[in-house]
Amino acid sequence: MEFASNFSDQLNVGLILPEGIVVATLLAVLIGDLILGRRAARGLPYIAIAGLLLSIVSLYFYWDAENPTALLGSFSGDDLSIIFRGVIALSTAVTILMSIRYVEQTGGALSEFIAIMLTATLGGMFLAGANELVMIFVALETLSISSYLMTGYMKRDSRSNEAALKYLLIGAASSAVFLYGSSLLYGLSGGKTILPEIAQGLAQVEGGELASAIALVFMIAGIAFKISAVPFHQWTPDVYEGSPTPVVAFLSVGSKAAGFALAIRLLVVAFPLEQPQWRLIFTALAILSMILGNAVALAQTSMKRLLAYSSIGQAGFVMIGMVAATQAGYASMIFYLLVYLFMNLGAFTGLILFSLRTGTDQITEYAGLYQKDPLLTLGLSICLLSLGGIPPLAGFFGKIYLFWAGWQAGLYGLVILGLVASVVSIYYYIRVVKMMVVKEPQEMSDTVRNYPAVRWNLPGMRPLQVGLVFSLVVTSLAGILSNPLFTLANTSIENTEALKSASTFLEETTAQNKEVSLADPMAPAIVEK
Amino acid sequence: MDLAQGVQFVSFIILAAMMFSAALGVVLLRNIVYSAFLLGAVFISISGLYLLLNAEFVAASQILVYVGAVNVLILFAIMLVNKKEAFPALGRNWLRGGATALVCVGLFALLGTMAISTPWSIADRAGVAAEGSVIKIGKHFFSDFLLPFELASVLLLITMVGAIILARRDLIPEEPPESGLTETEAYKLQERPRELISVGKSESEDQS
Amino acid sequence: MELQLEYYLILAAGLFCIGIYGLVTSRNVVRVLMSVELLLNAVNLNLIGFSSFIDPIDIKGQVFSVFVIIVAAAESAVGLAIILAIYRNRNTVDMERFNLLKW
Repeated sequence: MEFASNFSDQLNVGLILPEGIVVATLLAVLIGDLILGRRAARGLPYIAIAGLLLSIVSLYFYWDAENPTALLGSFSGDDLSIIFRGVIALSTAVTILMSIRYVEQTGGALSEFIAIMLTATLGGMFLAGANELVMIFVALETLSISSYLMTGYMKRDSRSNEAALKYLLIGAASSAVFLYGSSLLYGLSGGKTILPEIAQGLAQVEGGELASAIALVFMIAGIAFKISAVPFHQWTPDVYEGSPTPVVAFLSVGSKAAGFALAIRLLVVAFPLEQPQWRLIFTALAILSMILGNAVALAQTSMKRLLAYSSIGQAGFVMIGMVAATQAGYASMIFYLLVYLFMNLGAFTGLILFSLRTGTDQITEYAGLYQKDPLLTLGLSICLLSLGGIPPLAGFFGKIYLFWAGWQAGLYGLVILGLVASVVSIYYYIRVVKMMVVKEPQEMSDTVRNYPAVRWNLPGMRPLQVGLVFSLVVTSLAGILSNPLFTLANTSIENTEALKSASTFLEETTAQNKEVSLADPMAPAIVEK
Repeated sequence: MDLAQGVQFVSFIILAAMMFSAALGVVLLRNIVYSAFLLGAVFISISGLYLLLNAEFVAASQILVYVGAVNVLILFAIMLVNKKEAFPALGRNWLRGGATALVCVGLFALLGTMAISTPWSIADRAGVAAEGSVIKIGKHFFSDFLLPFELASVLLLITMVGAIILARRDLIPEEPPESGLTETEAYKLQERPRELISVGKSESEDQS
Repeated sequence: MELQLEYYLILAAGLFCIGIYGLVTSRNVVRVLMSVELLLNAVNLNLIGFSSFIDPIDIKGQVFSVFVIIVAAAESAVGLAIILAIYRNRNTVDMERFNLLKW
């Protein structure tokens, strides 16, 4: 720990410039609200969006950085982290677009809401690049604690209170379990906290299988809570139903992406030798998530709960890439998360628009919507069909790539199950679309019959329109023009040193072990001579 | 066994027994106020264990933060939500308790076996205490743990803001207040109708 | 009788299991929150034990546990704010009666 002259080189602070921009935006929003007051603070959400977009632009300049390690190893700004940080920041930007009107209509304080959401983004972005146990923990808790705050933000609504309480208690317990696992990892590796060093430390330990298995299971339990994989999903429907809808949109995209980033980095870098074990655990999680998420979604009558269960199912599909544990597998996860970002946020924007105008989110109330509001119907239908994986929309190519990567890795059973599950999922997405489009005028629901005139010039409606059109355009175009996204996902994985060195490390260690086991029978012979 | 080791061992036994019994009291006692005070006892005995492990700084911050802040906060919360509440009995309550206890004992057996069977790479502790732990921790905070340190400050800021937002009552009057200011008993709240907590008149009648 | 690392680890494991028991069986929300604090303290005991026996030069475990303490304080502040908000609306702290949302 010498404070040498090249200390600033080791710090390499430039790599966290995007996060710095987010922090500056966060402070600007908080202080601006204090100085300008409630009424004059209308512009603050746009400042937040501008800051997030600026942060995404600055991420581009660190693409393929020469030295991706920053702050003495606690943060890694490699391409893998850049793409996840981009996804998280973008999801927050779109979520802010849809929350302006929602928060004002429900009577909350908007600028504090934006500030908390920016903190959650900050936590997620740091989590995507965290390369050290302490950093992982603090970033994870920043993300979680601000999520609890956002979940309970509608404090006069006792359902929102209850959702926040359940989320907090289950979340705190799961992070404690995660911590117990990381403390074991710290002890087992001989006092290391940086992930690659932990892998080396673990390789030197003889006879620590039980401890490392317990550490692995405990840490996966913490991660599975974040990505809401079955059986760690119990909080999801409750929290999704009770909390404000924009928060649900963020939790289902941004927070989940951060969880997957953590899963890839932690498991691949710190547990290269336990690869068969964690692949097995993730296989179980993927199977359960796909079956339960999609089966329960069939029975839902509320649109919000439908999207909650469908997001559990979608997480199951993404986990196929994790189980494959190949470069193509990780790239397909990133590709799917990129398109999932737009289609899921588009679906949530549609849901928010409908519930703002009518005050309900029952699926039967959507009947005949296309005659009253064609744009909303179009946006919601395209996004739902894409979530279901109908060609030629973006979701179809995402699923194909995931299944292809799984098939290449020899996961035939899992891929077939995924195909069946996605056929089931098409059924419940189509049901909503059919409800909106096919119904005759006389079958129209009362809510839609009394549908207010579509006015986009009300305060806060314009951002919603922008968000809806944006996700609609991306979802429909990303299918046909998927090549740039595809290349992006692939290069980010190829350029990431951490994944490569982990796999070479695995090969070397297994090779050494083989040599040792070959050499062992020789040893007594030499002694006998 | 020399004297120092003997003293250490005896104090370990005492602290461990204190911690265990207090922790059991926290989860098992019926009165929540006793539990809160026993939680303080758990925290204090753990900080004693930290002293045995040469971690003075953590022991001090354990007392300052856990006993001084968290425990006091919990006591405040108990006072604010102090409705005497008879929890309606559930069927098969003992079954749930028994099953959970069984699982917990199993988990303890697993973790204990792991602790004993794993060959921990114990380092040589001779001549370690030359530099105090405070200096080392300070150096860590400003070198390799700089980033989490800074992030924790953002986390604490937003926790403060968010906790105030959630816990405060919105005192926005429904119409602009009359100059007479007739309402002396309590503010009119913008929230949905409910009983005021611990300051209203009806509350004390409920309690008695 | 010299103190061994294993003693501390077993002590921490015991505290962790008591915490889990309290987490699952408690009816009072405040008690559930206390159980979470017990869990975090068990982790801290683990970390300090490892830092003292395995990593006595670098004591990273102590730094880690300071961060755990910071975060635990933040978490309990948020938890109590949420409990106050829910108590105002529902006038109860019984876990079993927080059932507006179905599992």
